[in-house]
Amino acid sequence: MKKKIEHRSSPEVDLIRRARRGDERAFTKLVQKYESLVYSFAFKVCRDKEQASETWQDTFVNVYRKLGQFDGKSKFSTWLYAIVVNNCKMKRRKRKLDLASVPLESPHRFHEDPLLGGEGRVVQTIPSWKETPLDSVMDKELRTLLDKAIQKLPVDYRVVFVLRDVEGLSAEETGKILKLSVPAVKSRLRRARVFLRERLNSYMTR
Amino acid sequence: MKTKTMKCTDVVDHICDELDTKLSSAKCREIRRHLAKCPNCTAYLDSMKKTIRLYSTYPDPRVPAKARKKLFAVLRLRK
Repeated sequence: MKKKIEHRSSPEVDLIRRARRGDERAFTKLVQKYESLVYSFAFKVCRDKEQASETWQDTFVNVYRKLGQFDGKSKFSTWLYAIVVNNCKMKRRKRKLDLASVPLESPHRFHEDPLLGGEGRVVQTIPSWKETPLDSVMDKELRTLLDKAIQKLPVDYRVVFVLRDVEGLSAEETGKILKLSVPAVKSRLRRARVFLRERLNSYMTR
Repeated sequence: MKTKTMKCTDVVDHICDELDTKLSSAKCREIRRHLAKCPNCTAYLDSMKKTIRLYSTYPDPRVPAKARKKLFAVLRLRK
């Protein structure tokens, strides 16, 4: 059943209204506007070009069929993110990619009582990381490492990390997309960050 | 009232939540005070920020032309 779009007017809402009425040109414009966002997010979550392509297509097919269900209460991009997440998870379930779960370790061990040096100063036992290279000069080894680390992160945590830290969404918006409470988003984000940090640690400190 | 001094283990738990917020609450001010004296927590916070930076600057791939062509064919749309 078609839901009524909340009463507000903007070029985007007008475009969505026209697309809902079956205006093909409006739908095409909508695809063009969001195709990069959807593909890039699908790639970051699936971490595989083929899966990202399939997820991208499925997402827009869903949008075409379900546009009548968009009620305008959230941002259109929020609605899109939720469809991408569902499609990506479905694909992974079909391919049984998430069966082997990886335990998420707790943060790097800190001493309850830190080692003290001269004049009572704390001795640094956690090595500092080298400077991060710009994306254009990331070497192949680092890219492979980044890919491998995030691929090992269970998808429920990966999605939270990508939405919050890479896409820059708020905890509230992320919770809305994933149907999670804000504390649950924070907890998954914390564990995801720790997991990834631990996997990059040896490369970044050598 | 005497407040309990924050330990590294407490700081590390909260660092992750507070990474992207302004350190203004009482707890955050305490974290900041701890960070000023503790090279371990400072190194840890820095490594966490770098982890995020590495993933957020990872280049975005482009939508493959083949996928776009297929979608438009499936939905019978004109480009």
